[in-house]
Amino acid sequence: MNPTAQTFPEKAWALFKKLWSSVEFKLVLAWLFVVVATALLDSNHTYWNDPRGSSELIVRRTVLLGFFALGSAIIIISGGIDLSSGSVIALSATVFGSLLILLDPNGFREGHLSRLAVVLAMAGTVSVGAMIGTLHAWLITRIGLPPFIATLATLVGLRSFGRGLTPTVTIGGKSQIDFPDKLLRDALKDVTTMSIVFVVFAILLWFLMSRTVTGRHLHAMGGNEQAAKLSGIRTDRLKWLAYVLGAVSASMVGMISFADDGSAKPDIMARGYELNAIAASVIGGCSLQGGVGTIPGTILGCLFLRTVIDAVSKVVGSGADVYEGMIVGIVVVLAVTFSQRGQKAIVQRYFNNAIGWSIIPVLSILAGLLMLLFFGKQTWYTPAHAIVAGLVVGGLLVARGIWETMAEKKS
Amino acid sequence: MAETDSAETDLAETESIVSMRGIGKRFAAVKALDEVSFDVKPGELIAICGENGAGKSTLMKILSGVITDYDGTLAIDGKPIRFTGTRDAEEAGISIIHQELNLVEQLSVAANVFLGREKTTAFLFRDDRAMQREAGALLAQLECSVSPSALAGTLRVGDQQLVEIAKALSLNSRILVMDEPTSALTESEVDRLIRVIAKLRERGTTILYISHKMEEVFQLSNRIVVLRDGRFIAQLNTSETNAREITHLMVGREIESLDLGEKPTRGHRLLSVRELSLPWPGHARGYRLKDISFDLYQGEVLGIAGLMGAGRTELLECLFGAAPMAPSGQIHLEDRPIRPRHPSEALAAGMALVTEDRKRLGIFTAMNVGRNITLCELASMRRGLGVNGSLERTAANSMVDKLQIKTAGLQAAITSLSGGNQQKCILGRWLLTKPKILLLDDPTRGVDVGAKAELYQIIRQLCAEGLGVIVTSSELPEILTLSDRIMVLSEGRQTALFSREEATQEKILEAATMSVA
Repeated sequence: MNPTAQTFPEKAWALFKKLWSSVEFKLVLAWLFVVVATALLDSNHTYWNDPRGSSELIVRRTVLLGFFALGSAIIIISGGIDLSSGSVIALSATVFGSLLILLDPNGFREGHLSRLAVVLAMAGTVSVGAMIGTLHAWLITRIGLPPFIATLATLVGLRSFGRGLTPTVTIGGKSQIDFPDKLLRDALKDVTTMSIVFVVFAILLWFLMSRTVTGRHLHAMGGNEQAAKLSGIRTDRLKWLAYVLGAVSASMVGMISFADDGSAKPDIMARGYELNAIAASVIGGCSLQGGVGTIPGTILGCLFLRTVIDAVSKVVGSGADVYEGMIVGIVVVLAVTFSQRGQKAIVQRYFNNAIGWSIIPVLSILAGLLMLLFFGKQTWYTPAHAIVAGLVVGGLLVARGIWETMAEKKS
Repeated sequence: MAETDSAETDLAETESIVSMRGIGKRFAAVKALDEVSFDVKPGELIAICGENGAGKSTLMKILSGVITDYDGTLAIDGKPIRFTGTRDAEEAGISIIHQELNLVEQLSVAANVFLGREKTTAFLFRDDRAMQREAGALLAQLECSVSPSALAGTLRVGDQQLVEIAKALSLNSRILVMDEPTSALTESEVDRLIRVIAKLRERGTTILYISHKMEEVFQLSNRIVVLRDGRFIAQLNTSETNAREITHLMVGREIESLDLGEKPTRGHRLLSVRELSLPWPGHARGYRLKDISFDLYQGEVLGIAGLMGAGRTELLECLFGAAPMAPSGQIHLEDRPIRPRHPSEALAAGMALVTEDRKRLGIFTAMNVGRNITLCELASMRRGLGVNGSLERTAANSMVDKLQIKTAGLQAAITSLSGGNQQKCILGRWLLTKPKILLLDDPTRGVDVGAKAELYQIIRQLCAEGLGVIVTSSELPEILTLSDRIMVLSEGRQTALFSREEATQEKILEAATMSVA
């Protein structure tokens, strides 16, 4: 076909197909869908009545996740994994608080910290992040531990270290540090400042990953470490950079979370966040095999994940944080399933073998239970709703299984 | 050019065991196979010839159920059939020995032979003893002396291949597909394989044999099918043709004679290596390399011959700073002592290494052709802090032109290229660094005749430009064609150094098998 003879719809279709092949475009579409669906389904119409407040909440959560998810993404792209970010956040908040106490004890007590103490404490906390990253890089490159093991050790170790540190610096040996300075707290947790810092940070990392030699080398190392080394790339130094960026970005989140939460509680703070960061990276198109992934994709992954969590809390009404883990799990499974689909041309066989058929009752029961959990307190709810929901889902999946079998026979 | 008719008409009447009609397969935009049709009679050994990228491997993957999504029809014993996987094909009596062997290295030989079809005792316990007994019997038939309880990963490539053949025998396969089975074998292993093939044919096994090596093709086959660019070109009875005609059909043009023309003049000394040794702790021999000394001059090709395990790759790794531990001895580059401890130091000193194992150590599958080419030299394509896109494109294109890399563009996936073109990309990656010394570790392994000749020309041209080249190869004719001088290694020691004039295959082989305890 002569390309110049293309009509407008053909051109538009070609453009759409090109865009469709990018993770970023699909995520934007999925995000728009979630926003519209929530606006329509939410019985309190929060998105209509308070667009400013709603978006502020989502942006705040996205930015807080985004900071260390970007660090995590760089580690994943370079072929590693960082399980420690949650603990690094908790420890950094503790270290930040401890440094403030040590550097300006009077100011801490009176609630008016000196500017010098704050700057020094911030620099100190970021340095601690860099030290943790260096520790990871040393364990991985010199000791030869797999990244999973090295960061698993710091995941459990650093949180415990933070818990030990807190009573030794606080008066009366308390297990948490309260944020002392209201003005500083407001400045740190201000969503505009936070967003600006994040945008600058993200642009720097985007430039690093997609425009510099170092970024290309990180991709190469993630894709084929042996070949990268034999191409004269200093893989050990790159790993150091990746793990330091990962830990430093988590340290920054630690300081902001300290202000956002109003206190540093090393025992419970940011628990399990590392998995959210990994999930956001994967949703954003990073491959856990390494070598594949982008910064914009990861940011969209964070935005999508936080928006879905927010959407469920709006629709369900209460207890949203209870379902956060479940939502992350479901979204990750769907996102990866969806992104794998494009690679294979034929009909996917999800349900028409022994494992496939046996999962249908599991998913049906789950659907019924979710109906009960989400809407059990609504006035219109009766047990029949849950049963019908389970039966409908089960019926649909059986229909899909039968269709798959027929499609297979036909070919 | 296509002399298809005579052979095809009389085949149509005979009963054929395999018949392919209009087989086609696309990978994205590339047509790997286009309307390929031919028949195979029971008990035949058909050689499938064609350059890399001709579609031989794809066709065999369809026949053996590895690829299930294709156009056209396949019939076994006259019945149309469509496999849904390799299991299906195995049940129909078809086994394939892949070019890259498919063994689980952590399992024993016997476990590999019976993988997926493990024998059990009365209570459904695994019967390891019976499996080892049977695997041992099968291997004995194949003149293979390895223990059935040895781990597959510890075997030599030649023995691993026989394990795969043993697996096919245990399946009672009537049709055996062999994809370049001799590409990684030593001469004696090739001889053994040829004897094994003769035995298989006595039992009536039909064999489809893919190879680049004309010698083997003519020794073994009774019919030759030629593919080119995914299309069926011709089928000829082996007795009625010759190597020249087949090569002609494969390439579609007269292949340049392998006389590479005038040899460039030898310049100053680039590299001098004295008493290079590489220890091997924990091994009976105690060293991987011992007391290697040689010089390399500008414009010269130094060939390194030796059997597998002789230390060819290790020697190149030592020079390139990629050895598992620090070697001893002196290396001088243009009379300055160097001691590279990391490939980046060797790169800075002016060396380049094209590795032996292209898939594992060479290409970056997640990157496109352009990025694969520019990787080593990105730092010089910066403008400010970032890499400049147009500088990068210019550099990559210069190599695509210079080496005549056949690609759909710089954005194409590296995996969409044929083996020879992937190899050229890696060569291009290193040429961009403007090296003084080029180390080539078995550069034409898995590369077809046409691309081989092109690579030879390129190597010769680089010598004329003033590079010094060290090349290893598992094929003696290649070493003899390319090299100005030939060093022979045996068990980690240097056993001979020939000039091109005095070297012959016999002399090299003698030195390569010399025992130097």
